[in-house]
Amino acid sequence: MDTLHDLGGREGFGPLPLDGQDQPFHHDWEGRMWGIARTCRVRSITIDWFRHGLERMVPADYLTQSYFEKWCATYFALLIDAGVFTEADVAAGTLATPGTPAAPMDLAEVLAINRASHASFAVEPTAPPRFALGDRVKTRRHIAAAHTRLPAYARDRVGEVIAHHGAHVFPDEGAHGRRVADHLYTIAFAATELWGETANPKDSVTLDLWERYCV
Amino acid sequence: MSSYDSERAAALHRHLHSHLPSDPALRVKTLESLVVERGLVAPETIDAWVEAYSEEIGPKRGAAVVARSWTDPGFRGRLLEDAAEAIKEFGFEGSATGHLKAVANTPSCHNLVVCTLCSCYPFSILGMSPAWYKSTEYRARAVREPRAVLAEFGVILPDAVGIRVWDSTAELRYLVIPERPEGTEGWEEARLAALVTRNAMIGAERRLRVG
Repeated sequence: MDTLHDLGGREGFGPLPLDGQDQPFHHDWEGRMWGIARTCRVRSITIDWFRHGLERMVPADYLTQSYFEKWCATYFALLIDAGVFTEADVAAGTLATPGTPAAPMDLAEVLAINRASHASFAVEPTAPPRFALGDRVKTRRHIAAAHTRLPAYARDRVGEVIAHHGAHVFPDEGAHGRRVADHLYTIAFAATELWGETANPKDSVTLDLWERYCV
Repeated sequence: MSSYDSERAAALHRHLHSHLPSDPALRVKTLESLVVERGLVAPETIDAWVEAYSEEIGPKRGAAVVARSWTDPGFRGRLLEDAAEAIKEFGFEGSATGHLKAVANTPSCHNLVVCTLCSCYPFSILGMSPAWYKSTEYRARAVREPRAVLAEFGVILPDAVGIRVWDSTAELRYLVIPERPEGTEGWEEARLAALVTRNAMIGAERRLRVG
């Protein structure tokens, strides 16, 4: 779906917000949201269902809410969807039927979990790769899936394969809870191919794209 | 179990939009209450995550990796070949580094990292991402007008220096290896690491300042 999250190449935005504030968390609630996100793992919420949850936010909210506000909105929506709590629980601010409290973890345990979360998304390929390094490939013009990682600005464009990463889980299916293998490549596009002749001919943009995104 | 129903997710968002408090602190407080009551997390565990990413995990990790890449050619080779493996030599592997890729600046090429579709970032090696990296402005502009974006950071690149922008559309995450500054010959790793900024490891800074 071409929702507002697909921002690459959109014009009309102003200067970057470079206000010099560099602390890890700007508000206490941002840190709380980060800690919730690192800990509340619900198996059925795959990385791509979570991303699609963000994409389905109310469009005006998507553009105006900060990063961790978006996470908060999406956790509410997807945890209700998964049956972890109900809309009535949210309205009440408390659960009608609480569960067993989780055991607290200290800094050392959390650091160990962080280290162990060095996860691979590689999967066993189900077919040989169609492309080799140096091949020039064209991306698809249309995408029918609800969730995709082929941005609009890189559709129907020709690029060069500069790396092959084996097969990774295909996001368009992962957003529906299905683990489907597809070959993943890094594809380099000349800036002039993406943006026209006014771009610097020495500049390029690379994207990590699945084979199914190519024609 | 999740429904994986896109329209249901959108409907829930619309409904919550008109029922949740407008103050983000209150919204997150409500979320925390519910997941704590459900037994998914303890409040002390959230404290520990905040401490981990405030005190222990941050751009100093990436800076240590970059400094070693300048002093140890063998390590540099391993880093450029497979950064996800190489950072294990420091014990820095973790969240969003399972497919880490290191890309080195050269006199003729500058690297810049963005995630246009969300805000993917190699947390375990660089810590929390800066606000500008997550902004709509950066996500929209970095791929289309990287030279104008870099100029806002004070980086003016001659036309002869090419820019390669890496849009993190899959689970690969990128770490830019800046060039070692002149005048640092013979420096020890720790002294070199102090020169390496977070922005340089994203590509938003090019010439590191010495002293």
